Amino acid sequence: MTFALIQNGFLSLISSAIPASTVVVLAALGCLVGERVGVLNLGQEGLIGIGGVYAVIAVVTWGVDSPWVALAIGMAAAGIAGLMFAVAVVVFRASQVLVGLALALGGIGLSNQLGTNRNGVQVRTQFSEFSLGGSLVDGGVREALFAHDPMVYVAYVFLPLTLWFILFRTRHGMNMRAVGENPAAADAVGVSVTWSRIGYSVLGAAISGAGGAYMVLSFTPTWSPDIARGRGWVALAVVIFAGWRPVRAVFGALLYGTMFSLGLTAQARGWGFLFNATDLAFFLSMLPFLVTLAAILLPAGAAKIGKRVRSTAAPAALAIPYSREER
Amino acid sequence: MSTYRLERRLDVDTKKQALTRVAGALIAMGVAGIILLLTGRNSFKILFDGLEAIFGSQRGLEGVALRAIPILMTALAVALSLRMKIWNIGSGGQFLMGAFAALGVGIHVNGPGWLVLILMALAALVAGSLWILVPALARAYWDVNEIITTLLLNFVAAQLVTWAAIGFWRDTEAAVIQSTKRVPYRLAELPGTDSLTIALLVPFVIALVLFWIFRSTTIGFEIDTIGGNPRAAAFAGINVRRRMLLVMLCTGAIAGLGGMLQLSAPGARQLGPGYEAQFGLTGFIVAALAGGAMMGVLVGGTFIASMFFAGLVLQTKGLSVYIIFGIYGLILTGVALGEMAARYRLVRVRDAVSSERVAS
Repeated sequence: MTFALIQNGFLSLISSAIPASTVVVLAALGCLVGERVGVLNLGQEGLIGIGGVYAVIAVVTWGVDSPWVALAIGMAAAGIAGLMFAVAVVVFRASQVLVGLALALGGIGLSNQLGTNRNGVQVRTQFSEFSLGGSLVDGGVREALFAHDPMVYVAYVFLPLTLWFILFRTRHGMNMRAVGENPAAADAVGVSVTWSRIGYSVLGAAISGAGGAYMVLSFTPTWSPDIARGRGWVALAVVIFAGWRPVRAVFGALLYGTMFSLGLTAQARGWGFLFNATDLAFFLSMLPFLVTLAAILLPAGAAKIGKRVRSTAAPAALAIPYSREER
Repeated sequence: MSTYRLERRLDVDTKKQALTRVAGALIAMGVAGIILLLTGRNSFKILFDGLEAIFGSQRGLEGVALRAIPILMTALAVALSLRMKIWNIGSGGQFLMGAFAALGVGIHVNGPGWLVLILMALAALVAGSLWILVPALARAYWDVNEIITTLLLNFVAAQLVTWAAIGFWRDTEAAVIQSTKRVPYRLAELPGTDSLTIALLVPFVIALVLFWIFRSTTIGFEIDTIGGNPRAAAFAGINVRRRMLLVMLCTGAIAGLGGMLQLSAPGARQLGPGYEAQFGLTGFIVAALAGGAMMGVLVGGTFIASMFFAGLVLQTKGLSVYIIFGIYGLILTGVALGEMAARYRLVRVRDAVSSERVAS
C-alpha cells in the first residue's frame, strides 16, 4: 500500500519533471555545442528569452498555426543573436565573458520589451501530446515517460544521441573537439577555426532558443516577462556537471527539473513537513539552484580528493580567442 | 594592390585602452539612440528629459547620488575581483545578503543608535563574505569557475529575501504584503541635503583605500601580479590560493556593506522583492567599463548612476525599464569591443602576397 503510494508519487514527479527540464536540456545542449568548439556563451538567459518571444510573436501576431514553424522562427531569431555574438567574439576576439553577459542582459531586455503587449496571452498553437509505447506499458509508467509532446523526445533522446554520435564517432566531430582543445593544431591540419566556431555558435544559440520557444509553445504556454528565470544559468552549470558530454547533460537537467517540480508539487498539495506550507514552498524554490550548485561542486571536489572522474575537464581552449599570429 | 589588416600591438597602453573602452561605450549609446529613433521614439527628447531630470533640481542630483551608492559599492566589489581576473557576478546576491543580515540585526537588537548601526555594518560585511565563501573556496582550492557558482547564489538570495518579506520578518502592521519590518535606526544625515546620509561617503573612502592598496602596498602588487599571470605569481612565491580567497571574501564584504547602506536610503528601510533592483549587474558594467581602475569606477559609476536615475524618471514617461536593459547590453558589448580595439591596429598592406611571405 505504502509502496504503491510512493511509486505513484514518484511517477507523477517524473511526469512533471520531464517537461519542466526540457528547456534546460535544450539550453544545455546549445551551450555544449558552442563550448565544444571553444566558445563560451554566457548569454543563455537572453537566448531563451529571444527564442521564446519570437515564437509568441509568430503565433499571436503573425498567425502561424504550426508549432513547428513557430519553433523554427524562435530558433532563427536566437540564431541571429548568436551570429552577432559570434562575430564579436570570434572575428573581433572581444571578451567572451563580457559579450556573453551583454547578450544575457540585452536579450532579456529585448524579449521583455517585445513581449510587453503580449503578457499573459494564451499561445493557442501548441505542441500536442504524442504517445509512444501505446499499450506496451501500464498506466502510471506510460503517463510518466511516454505521454509527452514530440519536442520532449527530440530533446531527451534524439538530440543528445545525435550530438554524441557526431562528436565522438565521426571525423567531423573529432575536428570540432580539436578546435575546442587545440585550435592551432586544428588549424594546421586545415580545419577552419573561425568558420567552425562561428557556425557552431550560431547552431548552439538556435538550440538554446528552441528551449525558449518550447516554454511558450508547450510548457507555460503563455508569455511572461523574464521567462527564463535562471534556467539559462542552470543550463551553463549543467554543462559543467555533465563534463561536456551530451547524454550526461540530460541527466543533469533532469536533476534541476525534479527539484523544480518538487517545489511546485509541494505548493499544490500544501505539504508541510518540518516547516509550515508557505515556508516549505520558499525553501523548495531555492532548492533547484542549491542542488545545481552542489552538482558542479561535488565532481570537482571528488576529482581533487583523488577519486578518478572520467574526463570532466573543460575544452582546453574554452573562452580563449584564437588568432594565427598569437600562439 | 593594397589591403588592410589587423595587426596585434606588442604592448598595450592601459591609458589608451581606457579611452577605447569609453569610446566603445559612447558609440554603443549612439547606436542605442539610433535604434530608439528608428522604433519611433524621439531619442533627443529622451536625452534632454533625462538631463533635465538630473540637473533640473537638487532633488535630481540627490536622486543620482542615492542611486550611485549601491552601484558604486557593487562596482568596487567587482573591480577588486577583476584585478585578479576573477568575475564576481554574484555581487547582487552578496548585496542582498548584506542587507538581510543588517536588517536582522536592526529589527532584533535594541541599543543606542550608533552601536546598532555599527553592528549592522559588521553583520553586512560578514554576511556578504559568507555568501561568496563557497564559490571562493571552490575556485581557490578546486578550480571551479566562479562565474556560474556566484551567479546561481543570486537566485537563492533573492528567494531568501522574498521569503523574509512574505514570511518570517513580514511587516504585520503595514498594509503592504511583501515587505519586512522597518529598521528604526538611520545613518546621520549629510548637512545641507534632503535625503542623503553619510552613506554617500563610504564608497569614496573604500575607493581611496583600494586605490592606495594597489598603488603602494605589497599585497596590491601581488594581486595585480596574479591577475597578470597566476603561474608566474606562484613561481615568484606568492600564495595564489590564499590571495584569491582573501580577495573574493573582500569583494563579498564590500557588496554586502552596500546592501546595508541601501537600508538607510529614504523609503528603503525595509527589504522586499525588488530591493536589489539590478544594482549587482549595473555595478558589473561599471567595473568592466573602468577595467578595474578604482578612480575609473567612481567616474563611470556616477555616469551610469545618472543614466539609471534618468531611466527611472523616464519610466513614468513611457520609457520601459526593459529598454534600459537592452542599452546596458549594448554598452557592455561596446566596452568589450573597445577593449579589443586598443590591442590591434589597422595596417595597410601594400602588396598582400609578398607581405604574407614575409610574415610566414
